[in-house]
Amino acid sequence: MKTLFKKEVQFYFNNPIGYIVISLFAATINFLFIKDIFIVNIASMKQFFSFLPWVLLFFIPALSMRIFSEEKRTNTMELLLTLPITETQIVISKFLALLSLIVINLILTLALPIYLAISTHIYIPEILVGYVGIIMFSSFFLSISIFFSLKSKNQIVSFLISLITLFILLSISSDLFSGILPKFVQDILIFFAPLSHLQNFIKGTLDLRSILFFLSGTILFIILTVLDLEKKD
Amino acid sequence: MIAFSHVNKIFGTKTAISDLTFTAKQGEIIGLLGPNGAGKTTTMRLLVGYLIPTKGTITVNDLSPYQQRYELSRKIGYLPENNPLYGEMKVVEYLSFISSIKKEKNVKSIIDSIGLSEVMQKKIEELSRGYKQRVGLAAALMGAPEILVLDEPTSGLDPIEQEKIRDLIKKFGKQKTIIFSTHILSEIETIADKIIIINEGKLVYQGVKPKGKGAVEKLFKKVVKIT
Repeated sequence: MKTLFKKEVQFYFNNPIGYIVISLFAATINFLFIKDIFIVNIASMKQFFSFLPWVLLFFIPALSMRIFSEEKRTNTMELLLTLPITETQIVISKFLALLSLIVINLILTLALPIYLAISTHIYIPEILVGYVGIIMFSSFFLSISIFFSLKSKNQIVSFLISLITLFILLSISSDLFSGILPKFVQDILIFFAPLSHLQNFIKGTLDLRSILFFLSGTILFIILTVLDLEKKD
Repeated sequence: MIAFSHVNKIFGTKTAISDLTFTAKQGEIIGLLGPNGAGKTTTMRLLVGYLIPTKGTITVNDLSPYQQRYELSRKIGYLPENNPLYGEMKVVEYLSFISSIKKEKNVKSIIDSIGLSEVMQKKIEELSRGYKQRVGLAAALMGAPEILVLDEPTSGLDPIEQEKIRDLIKKFGKQKTIIFSTHILSEIETIADKIIIINEGKLVYQGVKPKGKGAVEKLFKKVVKIT
């Protein structure tokens, strides 16, 4: 599993695509943050963590669209599935490789809270909990995108299906539906809304329900991906 | 050692393999022969556990390829049709990746015996077809498999490269059980001990390779024409 994990990570650092994705992510995030600090004059990471899901909405499908689609297109899936490595190891290796890349990108944003910590007074544990929340949120979205990458040989199709699905998930916790749906339906949807659960982390709270939501959602889609991979037709 | 028993494989409404039954003993070099679309690749894929049979049973060394794929994959070296490789990797990176998964310790001796030393630092996508095939064969040999399953190993190669690959297969056939598929009759004559001929998904011949120049061709034309 370590071998496959290393191979997947190396792909992104041996090709321009990895650097392009990292640069675009870093540029977007830093721009959004700087806008808040210097233009709106808010010394807080809350807005940053609130923007981040909408950036990850595009970033995660873009990062994961090739992870299985390309293997299906080039038929290296046949090679992979006949090596002494289980389907579970394949999925988890690929998931961890992509999650590592996301974490690397998030580490690159640490300059922002460090700057804030030097120049103003901020509550560091709250920021750390925010980052934990973003990583858990990213894991959940990543597991969904990887699942859809297995569904198509075409990377663009995988990207679009992931994007639409993740957009719907983000939308159910936004104000988009508040004027349309009955209140009891909204209350049910809120439980399944990733943004609602992320809000707890952004507030600095380690809510067990939110931790379980992201963990179980991630595990569910990893299991679904493994089961799909085990189907041999 | 290898046993197919009344195996069927159906994709949707298409029957790719129908009631296929054959055996292969340890140490044999078996040529799986058949025209294009006969079901050779499907048979290979069933054998290595990449596909699951719709009906029937397959055992390899008393293991089921689809239920015990992980255990069996350590005993089988597989070269798929069209030899899929990670083109963006260098040869050294790819073989290092495979050897790590298959826990191969004697990588250098495999590289030397296949003749890849001079291209180790090249990207796979830059190699000629012949060299790519050698990379695939080297990967299949890693982990000291007891059985080699080679799906059209000389497909698309020029005559010189075909000869080289056949020589390598004959060399490794002295130590391993090999089942290779082909639609080139001369390959059967040169390499195989035993022949299995399939046509339209059905077994039409199974037995020792007939002796004499042109005997395989005569046999093939006879059995394929009959069905």
